[in-house]
Amino acid sequence: MNNLLEYIGIEPGRLHFSWISSAEATKFQDTVIKVTDAVKALGPAQRMVKDIRRVA
Amino acid sequence: MEAIAQKIREAAAKLLSEGAVDCVIGYAKGTVPMRDYPYFAYTPEEAQNLTWSPFCTNNLANFLIRRTAGEVGKVAIVAQGCVSRSIVGLIKENQITREQVYILGVPSHGMVDRRKVEARFPLKTITEVLVDGEDLIVKGKGFEERIPQKEVRRSNCYTCVQRNPVIVDEVVAEDGPNDWGGNIDAVAAPWEKLEPLQRWAAFEETVKDCIRCYACRDACPLCYCHVCFVDESQPQWCGKGQDEADVATFHILRAFHCAGRCTDCGACESACPMGIKVRRFTSKIEKDVRQLYDYTPGLDLESTPPLSVYRPNDPQEFIK
Amino acid sequence: MAEKILAKDKLGGFLEGLTSSYEVFAPQESEGKARWARLEDPSGALWEFSNTHLSPKDFFFPQSECMMRFKNLQDGEEGMVMHSEPGLDNKRLLLNIRPCDAKAFQVLDLIFVQDEMTDDFYWRDKREQTTLVGLGCSDPCPTCFCTSMNCGPHSTTGLDVLLVDLGDKLLVKALTEKGEALAQGLEDASPDDLAAAEAQRKSSEEQIESTVGMDQVLSRDMMELYDAGHWSRVQESCLNCGTCTYCCPTCHCFDIQDETQGEDGRRVRNWDSCMSWLFTMHGTGHNPRGTKLDRVRQRFMHKFKYIPAKRGGEIGCVGCGRCVQLCPVNIDVRRVVNDMNA
Repeated sequence: MNNLLEYIGIEPGRLHFSWISSAEATKFQDTVIKVTDAVKALGPAQRMVKDIRRVA
Repeated sequence: MEAIAQKIREAAAKLLSEGAVDCVIGYAKGTVPMRDYPYFAYTPEEAQNLTWSPFCTNNLANFLIRRTAGEVGKVAIVAQGCVSRSIVGLIKENQITREQVYILGVPSHGMVDRRKVEARFPLKTITEVLVDGEDLIVKGKGFEERIPQKEVRRSNCYTCVQRNPVIVDEVVAEDGPNDWGGNIDAVAAPWEKLEPLQRWAAFEETVKDCIRCYACRDACPLCYCHVCFVDESQPQWCGKGQDEADVATFHILRAFHCAGRCTDCGACESACPMGIKVRRFTSKIEKDVRQLYDYTPGLDLESTPPLSVYRPNDPQEFIK
Repeated sequence: MAEKILAKDKLGGFLEGLTSSYEVFAPQESEGKARWARLEDPSGALWEFSNTHLSPKDFFFPQSECMMRFKNLQDGEEGMVMHSEPGLDNKRLLLNIRPCDAKAFQVLDLIFVQDEMTDDFYWRDKREQTTLVGLGCSDPCPTCFCTSMNCGPHSTTGLDVLLVDLGDKLLVKALTEKGEALAQGLEDASPDDLAAAEAQRKSSEEQIESTVGMDQVLSRDMMELYDAGHWSRVQESCLNCGTCTYCCPTCHCFDIQDETQGEDGRRVRNWDSCMSWLFTMHGTGHNPRGTKLDRVRQRFMHKFKYIPAKRGGEIGCVGCGRCVQLCPVNIDVRRVVNDMNA
């Protein structure tokens, strides 16, 4: 899935995968922060966005 | 190919008159040029309607699972390479049993992409297309032209890796060469050379004409979910309208559901009324499956599909 | 109004006049096929083509149409108040529409604007704001069968103007007030012109070889057709996709849904198809058309039996032949109806 989305032009930083067990609370927190920062750095999504206010 | 058609008719008539099968699924000559259609023969007389030509562009394995409720029993099916691979896939996924199918194996001569022929006569009406050896004779109002079949074959046929059927119960014609010499990995993912913005533009261009008729999904033998994800409403994964994001989601997710299973038979592209090149997505995914798992779907009944089983050495550098 | 003549060398000026008063759409070439598009350059309009790939029904019944918008709030003045989308801003003109497609909209008028209780504003507004200028067929396809469906290559039903291409000129036949407004100021046609147009009509009708018998279908008892034995064979290869429905100019099934996004919401109508099992699925889990046979039979019974029975004999098909050309498994409506008629 990662490869396919990158192939069609979705920026690689938007989709992240991680294995985290419920016992790994620290890893969960760290990953969430990392992913949030990565996505924020990419700015608002321009592709695959549906906005019903814009659509006729 | 007419010789093969005759053999199919004979084999089918024999099976039906002996009662070995309840039905033979093959093709009959269509009412429009370049389209032969799936035909179900129940009697030796009906078996005489069966044909085989470069216009047999559906995937008959589709009809093994979409039978009317209550119909069980044994069916015979005319299958070339890619179709036999789909049958293998269905057996491995427990949608049919090996015993339910009697496979009449035919080596594929490559199927014609009618849109490539139509593109040579823009805005003109083609009234008849005849097969003459390795050529086609295309006739219309005020024109008649001879075109070599190899120039207008379906794209997936050029890079076919398995023209001969992989499993057979009865050989209708001897195996021929197994490929056309095309290298599928070389053409499977052309957008890898593009920049992301260009890729997105290419993607939008590919799906812009989609009318959400779902012919691609319905022609595919692998799409057999009772409730397709596009029909779900709680939650609704994908809107039903024509918003670009909804159309994109449908194509991406459908391709993804076929990952590791698609045999590149081309029935989806042949079925699409708008000529959308939906194989662009599955061919990229299957290339990844070949590279990551060294697996090509449907070649034999024994190997386990990599995406349905966990192995400790599965590639996972994308998981952080 | 008497028939008029428009010489082809005056066509450019005439079309430019049209584009200044209307949004003009016409079939134009796109990737080897004829497709409907806004006419920017008058010379892009096609005059020699069989028919467009998809029908122009999208102009009156868009595939995806927002009907209303609302604020998704429980309180406040605007909360949950539906605001209907407005009608069209501009008058439109469909140039070179084929007579079969124009007739199809008359058939659909009987569905969308039946009486006071069923007056679909979205359909009616677009119909009232649009003028249809048709182009008579001179070169029907092998898949056309309009002559069996109460229609024909030069049929005038549903058109405001019928044009007949006579080579170096067009015969212009105004049929309604809207049409007469367009034909003002054109020269009268000569008896020779009229004869040439009539000859083309006859020749086109003769070229249509496909015939579909309807007499038995219309007169036979409904349940006799419903229970006929041939349906189990017709439905065998059907994929239950939506191709036939979506390319057909008379198909009109739809699905209405509300979509919300935060505080905004809209009610949208999308095309749907009776080929889908979901179309008739009840919330209880019961499905009155649960089998493929039910659905395939429904398509043909609806178009060729139920609609004529309930709409005074009008057939729900105009014989354009698109479904014959596009069905992925070549289920040929002509064959099916002839079987129904046998």
